[in-house]
Amino acid sequence: MQNSESDYRLEMTGISKSFGVVSVLKDVNLKVKPGEIHALLGENGAGKSTLIKILSGVHQKDSGQVLLNGQEINPKNTHDGQVLGISVVFQELSLVNDLSVAENIYLHKLGSSKFWMNWKEITQNAQELIDSLGFEIDASATVRNLSIVQKQVVEIAKALSEDTKVLVLDEPTTVFDPTDTKKLLNNLFKLRDKGISIIYISHHLEEVFKIADTITVLRDGVDTGSLTASETHTDHVIKLMIGRELKDLYPARNSKIGKTPIFEVKNLTAKDNLVHDVSFDVKPGEVLGVAGLGGSGRTEMAKLIFGLYKKKSGSLFLEGKEIKTQTPVQAVAHKIGFVSEDRKEEGVFLPMSIKKNISVTNFNFITNKLGFLKMDKEQENVSSLITKLNIKTPSSEIAVKNLSGGNQQKVALAKWLSIDSKVIIIDEPTRGVDVGAKIEIYNLINEVAEKGVGVIVISSDMPEIMGIADRIQVMHTGTIYGELPKEKFSEENILRYAIGKPLK
Amino acid sequence: MNATIKQQLSSPGGWLSFLIKYNTIFIFILLVIFSACISDVFFTSVNLSNLLKQVSGIGIISVGMLIVILTGGIDLSVGSMVALLAVTFAILVNLVILPLAILGTIAIGFALGSVAGYLVAYQKMAPFIATLALMTIARGLGFIYSNGSPIIFETKGGLFMSNFANNSLLGIPNIALVFFIIVIGAAIMLKYNVFGRLIIALGSNEEAARLSGIKVNKYKFLVYAISGALAATAAIIVASRTNLGSPNMGVSWELDAIAAVVIGGASLSGGKGTVVNTLMGVLILGLISNILNLLNVPSYPQQVVKGAIIVFAVLLQRFESK
Repeated sequence: MQNSESDYRLEMTGISKSFGVVSVLKDVNLKVKPGEIHALLGENGAGKSTLIKILSGVHQKDSGQVLLNGQEINPKNTHDGQVLGISVVFQELSLVNDLSVAENIYLHKLGSSKFWMNWKEITQNAQELIDSLGFEIDASATVRNLSIVQKQVVEIAKALSEDTKVLVLDEPTTVFDPTDTKKLLNNLFKLRDKGISIIYISHHLEEVFKIADTITVLRDGVDTGSLTASETHTDHVIKLMIGRELKDLYPARNSKIGKTPIFEVKNLTAKDNLVHDVSFDVKPGEVLGVAGLGGSGRTEMAKLIFGLYKKKSGSLFLEGKEIKTQTPVQAVAHKIGFVSEDRKEEGVFLPMSIKKNISVTNFNFITNKLGFLKMDKEQENVSSLITKLNIKTPSSEIAVKNLSGGNQQKVALAKWLSIDSKVIIIDEPTRGVDVGAKIEIYNLINEVAEKGVGVIVISSDMPEIMGIADRIQVMHTGTIYGELPKEKFSEENILRYAIGKPLK
Repeated sequence: MNATIKQQLSSPGGWLSFLIKYNTIFIFILLVIFSACISDVFFTSVNLSNLLKQVSGIGIISVGMLIVILTGGIDLSVGSMVALLAVTFAILVNLVILPLAILGTIAIGFALGSVAGYLVAYQKMAPFIATLALMTIARGLGFIYSNGSPIIFETKGGLFMSNFANNSLLGIPNIALVFFIIVIGAAIMLKYNVFGRLIIALGSNEEAARLSGIKVNKYKFLVYAISGALAATAAIIVASRTNLGSPNMGVSWELDAIAAVVIGGASLSGGKGTVVNTLMGVLILGLISNILNLLNVPSYPQQVVKGAIIVFAVLLQRFESK
């Protein structure tokens, strides 16, 4: 496989790319050896995705050269890229929901094959591929019915169904819990040992240092050189990414936690029993963490509280009084806010302006009796939130789809701050958000708590949840298995509870 | 609005992007200039007032169609509703006093629209299917209640309505005034009222709307009911113009209304569209028929031209989104 003229499988040199007047990449170099895991890091908007899209043929470069095994290549579309052996798993899942897992995995080959399909063989091959990755997914299942984790696995299997030489993974583990992540990373080691070159994009630095051989950091469209992973450390990489020293990722908690709970959940059970016998409380000013593996019912519990799923039994108390939340409308009326883990599908209105996104929960304050909007009052409220949350935008009229992930997340949070929520449930607060914006979101969560709000944070990111929570509830098979006070926080303890074992 | 326009005009290539952004207004103006050049009769008050009278009925149901489409739905029933409600109005006007006949017809329109709204919002039926069913039911009922023939206005109230529908105020036909009042009312509701905000939010992301505590089902229900009430208003107008209610009225008007909304740049998947642009869409379609009539083009080629214009307008909007 290896080319005699070069040590590198892939050499991208002097790559530049502009969209209109905006220069996204400036003279970027990326060199990847065979059998190497090469981490590509950088904040959102640093140009990682654009570089990958040039490699795979989605975009065309303005200048520079791409060599694969020493041969110059110029993929004009993703099909060209795939034929050359470049497979990319993009952040946005690109599966066809109504087809089966097997059909999706072999979709790109369906067009060019024989007239009659051998479905049995295709399904069998797909099943073998998935089994080899160590995940339990039925290859004949319809993709629509899969969980988001399973969909991501199918996406990876699809990339591997080709004779892949360069595999690019863009944030593959954002939806994974620690066990699934471990499985995936083990798979990557196996692929690396087979000689496949892997380009790995991630915001999880712990993960990157676990697996990467080489690290390239992009900042504002310029590469800051390649580092050998074993010869560098997290702080240095963060410095390269954001261009300054970073003292603390997790801000100090200095919120006064009240004595009596602001919100209590007692024996809450869902109609379908997927979540059962959940009891906990949150105190004003407290950040309560909820941890657990994928499928342990964390998101389902949040949606149950918020009135999106039907309850069978149990009760909720807000400030000591029992409340009913049969629908989200009732939950919001009681000033309970919910920030979904799925920002694009459930969190924000992408085509609408920042202003309209923030105001959507808040009409009681900014309308008269006939429902007409008080435009100046609305603008005032929105502008103050934009400043307070440091949402980076030239105007409140900009559509949310034009913002970075971190700023979108701030908009999703802003709408609950604008109604002075008493309890806010945040599901995966920093998924797909860069380091700089992460810190801002953590600060924000802190400030919200300081105002006396009960904050419930669900997160798969263990360092994150330990860094920001005052207490952690760990879920296992649909109920809360155990609670960890701050002095017992450790990845091991969380994991033991998450798999249903007592602490040592 | 003004600030954004100025900003666009001052930026390099600003004129072009301005034209692309407001392409419906641009097409409309071009068509007016073209029509004026090609026909001496076009700019006469008789012709212009005819044009306005012709578009008013479809214009009113287009406003209803727009608010339904903004939520990501569609209302195929409005054409048949116009027929059924025109028959209803003719029956009522011969039975009861005029104000009661008008209010009754609008109430029945609202109720019929509510049926579609109930099926879509609370029974989770696809809007296309629910309103398709209502479309055939309404047409059938129209024929049943009229015994298949037109019902002529026979009372003083009827006479008053047909006078009203055929007269003008300050040169503008009365029925066009009704249409314009509805357009202005709808534009204000969409831009300055919570109602407009919420239906656009719901059309742009229904799940996010639900999770923001918006009463999604209530608003989905309401838009169909309002569309029904507007169909009733259109029915009263077209019936009054001809002094009768006929079950053959409003044939394929739902398609013209959809065309007007789409030419006006609205997205059929919801969340995008404005009343002003829909008005332009209505006027553009009306202008095309008008000028082709003036040029004595027979009706079959007219349909071909209409279709071509729809394709052209939507292609232009593709530039806008790029």
